[in-house]
Amino acid sequence: MYEVMMFDGGVYRIKEFYELVEDVGGFIIQKSQAQQTITVTLAIPEEEKVVIEKKSEELGGRLINVPLAGTEIAVVAPTLGRHHMPHPVCDIAEHLRRYGAITVVMGLARGKGRKTAQITADEKRIIEEYDAAVFVLGNFKDCIVEEKVRLFEEIEIPVAVVCGPELEELPSCEALVCGIGRKAERMRRAEEIEKLEETAQAVERIVRNRRKELDEDPLFVHPAEIKQAIEDLEPVQDNLRPAPIVLHLNGLRVKIPYAEWRDTLYEVEIYGRKLGEIANIRDASLTGSTLIEILTKCEVEDRDRKMSS
Amino acid sequence: MKVTVEGHEDWGNQSYDELFRRILLDLGITRMVDEVHMIIEPENSFFLISLRVRTATGAKSVSEVAKVEQKPEGAMLTITNELYAPRLLAMLWRDYGRQRVDQLSRFELMVRGVKAEELGEKMLDPGEELKQKVLDAVWRLLPEGLKVRHNIYSEGVLTIAATEHTMKQDWKDLAEKIHAELELGREAV
Repeated sequence: MYEVMMFDGGVYRIKEFYELVEDVGGFIIQKSQAQQTITVTLAIPEEEKVVIEKKSEELGGRLINVPLAGTEIAVVAPTLGRHHMPHPVCDIAEHLRRYGAITVVMGLARGKGRKTAQITADEKRIIEEYDAAVFVLGNFKDCIVEEKVRLFEEIEIPVAVVCGPELEELPSCEALVCGIGRKAERMRRAEEIEKLEETAQAVERIVRNRRKELDEDPLFVHPAEIKQAIEDLEPVQDNLRPAPIVLHLNGLRVKIPYAEWRDTLYEVEIYGRKLGEIANIRDASLTGSTLIEILTKCEVEDRDRKMSS
Repeated sequence: MKVTVEGHEDWGNQSYDELFRRILLDLGITRMVDEVHMIIEPENSFFLISLRVRTATGAKSVSEVAKVEQKPEGAMLTITNELYAPRLLAMLWRDYGRQRVDQLSRFELMVRGVKAEELGEKMLDPGEELKQKVLDAVWRLLPEGLKVRHNIYSEGVLTIAATEHTMKQDWKDLAEKIHAELELGREAV
């Protein structure tokens, strides 16, 4: 199994580090250089961690555990209004980023109110394109337990709920963090930062469970391997969006238009096979993006059997 | 500032108390609000806030914040206290219209067809600004989905009852009652 880590160090002899990652069968997911310092997110086989750690020490850098790296998480608020959106939502999204996740902040069109709160089928579909969703709700138990729970009850990806009042349990969600609620300022106090930590750990837990589920029937290839194969494509190279390729637990989001590039993506070669044969490639709800959902080994074998018979 | 929050959920009540204090602090009007009474019934989608505001002080005449001179085409103002410039300009636009007010430079304004004497005596009312800030604070606090509202306003006391569906007569009566109580409080002060 691959482990995603982050190297934080200098640019001196960094190429040696890249070569070693490649030699042990790992991948570079993302590089971010600021003058002489560089942070590199990488995926390496679990058993090779010691070798990589040793090399980081030799180069004067450090290897940080980023348990949410390689995931894209939606942080959802009932509306885009200042009553719901700004402070806790942004602080949670920012904190998840520190754990390595790519986060997207989203406000529902009609999530405000109590009985009138609702989520549309489109919004559900958009949320389901992510690896997990964090719903940030308000201050009143009655409102959350009786009504707001409907917002996420049919969402098919793991959901973590963040709310104000202390609740023992809440249906339809995999994790629950209480004690945040509505805020009119940034979460800066020690106890608030502790709550942000608690939220990140809750998300980490649900992501870990999802990874375990995927390991029961492993993907045909790791998403990072596909990233490596498609990152040299012209539209990806020319893409000006900050992260043109985003890894998911079971695939990738490539920020190039589906209609224009689906055939090119289909033909990309991965271990002697076409990408279209080992993954479902489809249009994403996010404008100008394509989703690649990697099939599991069993699914690929099954598909091969059907083709040959 | 005295804040009373009535409701069945302690956590929610306490957080709304803190939230409102924080909003007032953000807007810089903590000292201008005397008393606040909130009634929160999430089970009925009902929210009521009533607050009593202190009288704004520090009203200044135009001649105190700007040098006013008579020119052939109108009154010429040279702002001497820039702190009042936005309020002064807003007042001139409101009273004479934008077409008659020329901004010659950052500190110089020409108001055409107006006597300097008349303009110099005009008062800049800080009460208006305070009212706007108080309304802003209440708007930031009110739960977003409770769109059906019943407002009562009298000198220095503002009460807003809000719900999601139909505003019941009982709630309107309750709003009147709380409003009257806060008005009585003003007399006591």
